[in-house]
Amino acid sequence: MPFMKGNAPIRRTLKYLEAGRIVFRDRVKIFTVNYNTRGDHHNGARDFVFWYLPQIQYKNPHVQINTFKNMTPSPFIKCYLDKGEEILIDIDSKTKEEVYDHLRRVICKSDSQLAAELVAEEKNPANFGFGCEKHCMCEIPGQVPCPGIVPLPKPMRGKYIYNKD
Amino acid sequence: MSATAAGRGLLILGRCVPCLKQNASKFKVRRLALDRNLLMYFSEDEFIYAHDPEKMCKEGDVALVQELPQKMTRLISHKVLRVVYPLGDITDPVTGKKVMQDEYRDDMDEVSRLYGESKNAFKYKEARDRGWQEDKKDFSHHESYVKYHEFEDDDQPYAL
Repeated sequence: MPFMKGNAPIRRTLKYLEAGRIVFRDRVKIFTVNYNTRGDHHNGARDFVFWYLPQIQYKNPHVQINTFKNMTPSPFIKCYLDKGEEILIDIDSKTKEEVYDHLRRVICKSDSQLAAELVAEEKNPANFGFGCEKHCMCEIPGQVPCPGIVPLPKPMRGKYIYNKD
Repeated sequence: MSATAAGRGLLILGRCVPCLKQNASKFKVRRLALDRNLLMYFSEDEFIYAHDPEKMCKEGDVALVQELPQKMTRLISHKVLRVVYPLGDITDPVTGKKVMQDEYRDDMDEVSRLYGESKNAFKYKEARDRGWQEDKKDFSHHESYVKYHEFEDDDQPYAL
């Protein structure tokens, strides 16, 4: 890991970020964690933010993720859904794994749903153009070859069709 | 991402900052942006104007703000839904009690009652609503600027 300085630099590797399995449901728009910098019952919350927050933001780029420190005595997670509803999750004295599992069961897309979305995202190999495997129709076998390489027959060329004397 | 980030969010959480507009409040929206070279997330702030005719948000409050289907004016693109954490008067959502940082106000009252209440102590129950000292002793509701000249007739209370 080159240029890997700092506390637990593994959190800053692409492999770690992509290994995150928390993908929120579409209705979740804001995810906030309230915790304190001191207090043993906030340990799990602090560890959760330290280890899992980059993964969560990476997998959910359109969700606003905020942390609020030293506001209330007890730590909690609040998710705001698209119509303004709130989901409150009490994480007092829970370990980061317990919080992670709880989130996965409550507000995340299931593994089967994620797999189905992955299959739906697969590109149609028959498409051509920008962002596809084939750039032009002429690259597809069985189609008219590129006129820049192999000239078109004369009856197909405008200069011969419209210039008949 | 940061240029259109606030425009993309249907629902946003923002902290109210001083705003001089009449029917609007200005919000600082804090988002995490990925630095592609370090692969690290850093906070980035963005400011949005939200329609707030009743002025239910005061400076420092954290409020839920929703994007309007159409921009109201050139700058006002959102509207305020509700205040989530009013400054200084936070209710712990888990227990429903009023808190101050990491203590419950009830516990603080109990401790001060056992030790003997101080005459000058701040009493939350008798305190007036925020804003009663505005323009008298509190000048934080206004946008501030760095003082560039001392005027004889102008006190310049909003200047830094």
